[in-house]
Amino acid sequence: MFKNRKFLMFMLLSVLSVLVLAACGGGDKESKDKDSGAKSKSSLETIKANDKIVWGVKNDTKLFGLKNPSTGEIEGFDVDIAKELTKIILGDETKVEFKEVTSKTRIPMLNNGDIDSIIATMTISKERRKEVDFTDVYFEAGQSLLVKKGSKIKSIDDLDSKTKVIAVKGSTSAINIREKAPDAQVLEFENYAEAFTALKAGQGDVLTTDDSILYGMASQDNNFELVGGKFTEEPYGIAMKKGSDDFVKAVNDALAELKSNGKYNEIHDKWIKK
Amino acid sequence: MDFIGAYSPDHIVFLLKGFLVTLEVAGISILLSFLLGAILGIVRYTKVPVFAQISAIFVETIRNLPLLLIIFFVYFALPEVGIKLSITWSAILALTIFESAMLAEIIRSGLNSVHKGQMEAGRSSGLSYIQTLWYIILPQGVRRMVPPIVSQFISLLKDTSLAVVIALPEMMHNAQVLNAQNINYIIPIFILVAVIYFIVNFALSLVARRLELNM
Repeated sequence: MFKNRKFLMFMLLSVLSVLVLAACGGGDKESKDKDSGAKSKSSLETIKANDKIVWGVKNDTKLFGLKNPSTGEIEGFDVDIAKELTKIILGDETKVEFKEVTSKTRIPMLNNGDIDSIIATMTISKERRKEVDFTDVYFEAGQSLLVKKGSKIKSIDDLDSKTKVIAVKGSTSAINIREKAPDAQVLEFENYAEAFTALKAGQGDVLTTDDSILYGMASQDNNFELVGGKFTEEPYGIAMKKGSDDFVKAVNDALAELKSNGKYNEIHDKWIKK
Repeated sequence: MDFIGAYSPDHIVFLLKGFLVTLEVAGISILLSFLLGAILGIVRYTKVPVFAQISAIFVETIRNLPLLLIIFFVYFALPEVGIKLSITWSAILALTIFESAMLAEIIRSGLNSVHKGQMEAGRSSGLSYIQTLWYIILPQGVRRMVPPIVSQFISLLKDTSLAVVIALPEMMHNAQVLNAQNINYIIPIFILVAVIYFIVNFALSLVARRLELNM
């Protein structure tokens, strides 16, 4: 019996060693590929050599980045701006690739090299500046409140310890509301559609996020309205990996060009209606 | 609520496309986790020195962690040590690790449920340890394992929806994209998702029942 067990053990050992070897082999190749791309060239040179910019965009945010189920294309303000920026930097707006990111995955994907840049309703903040480089502001949002019509909440000052505020996880608006209305209870949901449905179901009294997104919701369900105006500044920026100075500069120049030639306003008016 | 808008043909096709990804990821994970689970379970049953202990540590660690945590770990932490997988393979690896620990326990308990006398009888009639395991113990154990294994596979299929956190384009993910089109779609879409999951999983349980009857 012992002999047979030894045989079994030998077989297992060989299977294990093959698996380990296979895993190591795969790993080595990946890391070599990554090194050769990143170290020798600056980020802008890499992009020019690839002749393509890979943008990380949202796919579930109406007006900014939303997948169209009929065509499979992602559409929105962020996407149009990214196309125009690519056109200026690489000379052709078809040299783009869009990858879907969420608030959780966008920074890891940028640092892994899955995407070259994030343009996904990302607010420029001190905390985030430690992890990524930001371009100039490309969209000025501000946080506001959405309530059911006839609600007694009229502004941020009406939020007290009995108020349940609905926000979206991983967003700066969830952090801001805790500062501006420290007494209120904050409920955080995965995405805007779920947050709105929670408001509608009466799980909370008020929904807070950037006003541009709230206007989109109010236009789809006229039982709800915005109150209190903007109570924060939420400047959206485009993010690059740390140390991408030349890429940041190229995007900033391209942004300035879009603002001066009227293209920016055209895109803004196409998506953002107040 | 807007049922008519939510159930437009484009939307249903989009959801079913997501369901294909669910099936693909679940199918590959089922294959891999069954293989790995069988090895781990049998090794633990036969008490092969060192390997049985490694298997026990692996199974007990993984079984006591939430799958969501394993998914996060594979996708966000492995790249830190140089192992970078695509979203799909991250989901498959996380599901395989988690489900193989579950399957290992099902397989081990199935084998343990075969009376010890069977092994002794096999050995004393001149069969080797491996022969006894293969021809006597396994066939009896497998019959008892089928129902819990199938229910584990059904769990696995449903668990793929957790990969929504790493943006795997499976059915739950596509449902969220549809919900974002119009805030009035969310409840109709979730009802449709529930119906699709139910049909497929119920069909799987029916197949399992047929299998049991035939054995």
